[in-house]
Amino acid sequence: MDHLSTEGLARLLDQGASQEEYRHLADCRACRAEMDAIRDQTEALGRLPDLRPPPGDWSVLQARLVSEGLVRAGGQVTRAFGPAPGWMRAAAALVLFLGGAVAGGVAARGVGLPFSGDRVAREGSFLVPASDAGTVDDAFQWVQLTERQYMDALVRYRQLRSDQGGAMATSDAESRYAALEYMVRAGQAALREAPTDPFLNGLVASTMAEREAWLKLISSNGNDNWF
Amino acid sequence: MPRGHPTSHDPEEEGRGAGSSARPDLRKRALSEAQLIRKACQGDAQAVRALYDRYAPRVYAVVRRIAGDDDLAQDYAQEAWIRAIRALPTFRGDARFSTWLHRIAVNAALQAARKAETRTRRQAPMPADVPVGPGRGDALLQKRLEWALGELPEGMRRVLILHDVESYTHEEIGDVLGVTSGTSKSQLFKARAKMREMLSGLDNEGEQEEAEAWTI
Repeated sequence: MDHLSTEGLARLLDQGASQEEYRHLADCRACRAEMDAIRDQTEALGRLPDLRPPPGDWSVLQARLVSEGLVRAGGQVTRAFGPAPGWMRAAAALVLFLGGAVAGGVAARGVGLPFSGDRVAREGSFLVPASDAGTVDDAFQWVQLTERQYMDALVRYRQLRSDQGGAMATSDAESRYAALEYMVRAGQAALREAPTDPFLNGLVASTMAEREAWLKLISSNGNDNWF
Repeated sequence: MPRGHPTSHDPEEEGRGAGSSARPDLRKRALSEAQLIRKACQGDAQAVRALYDRYAPRVYAVVRRIAGDDDLAQDYAQEAWIRAIRALPTFRGDARFSTWLHRIAVNAALQAARKAETRTRRQAPMPADVPVGPGRGDALLQKRLEWALGELPEGMRRVLILHDVESYTHEEIGDVLGVTSGTSKSQLFKARAKMREMLSGLDNEGEQEEAEAWTI
């Protein structure tokens, strides 16, 4: 008997072999090896990991959900309306970014939130204040969340600049500095719980470095060409 | 079974997601899934976000593999989430939420793929997607498998993904693809064989390169 076909061997993983196939497999080392390889391949397919969506995915989805009236924005009553025009989405993205940054700056100074930051907080952009982190897991999660929000906002901000081509205000660099300051404080709060955690240490160090770089930029240059 | 079937109960699998890859999100877990779903039905953005954090990697993985393309995958995944949140009030809890959502994602991806009138043949690059959590196999093998999946003809790929990756039965595949279970089986065996040929080709190339390196 000729060797069994690859397709036939693939079938034998799920279905019983005929007498003839069974006898052939018993005698043919090559076919057994090929069948083992197909089995390994099939089992490896079953172990393929889930995949992280691209950065900024949630921001885009959230904008769509809001525009379709499927989620409330800022605690407002949901109402169905058509897709938001481009300028409105862009403005929302800007509010998210700058509002988050302002919230960060304000939190760093220990005063109440202004409108934009408060709105961002109520919309769920800042779910848990770092100071409320009762456990290392909370703190760690908070740091991750803050970092993700920052990156999401940055992606949206870049998209805004690309779509709208508008000039940015000088205060944007300061806002970004404030957001970085907020991330540093969140990271430090987490580090108090887990001082030897290598991820947290690396994150805080790199965030501090970026914060310092922006501080130097703000000090040395009033221009806002900071991307 | 190679992978936890979406209908099987597995608390570890339930908790898998972008937000749970490293440390548990205790605050969000404080709310039960039923509570999250109820709040999400009422338009609570935080509840929707919590569900997204929990299931986005699973949703993205299946639509990415069906789409075979990063840009399409993001569109398909977004469409799946929109559909799911829109249909959330109809979710009665007969099946697990993950199963329900997974099915919506598969259907959304398949329908979107069918709608694409003319599709240029993808080049099937090695995907740049980031796996969630530590890989349970070796990374090179995973890359090879993803590449080979992308090289399969559409029909074969869908059946192979649904059966061997997502653990659907042939009857379930027949339902979502609109084919008989017999067709599903024959496509599966062809797909496995084609995958095997492609992967063994890669192995042979590797061995050849190694041999050439030794002869230099």
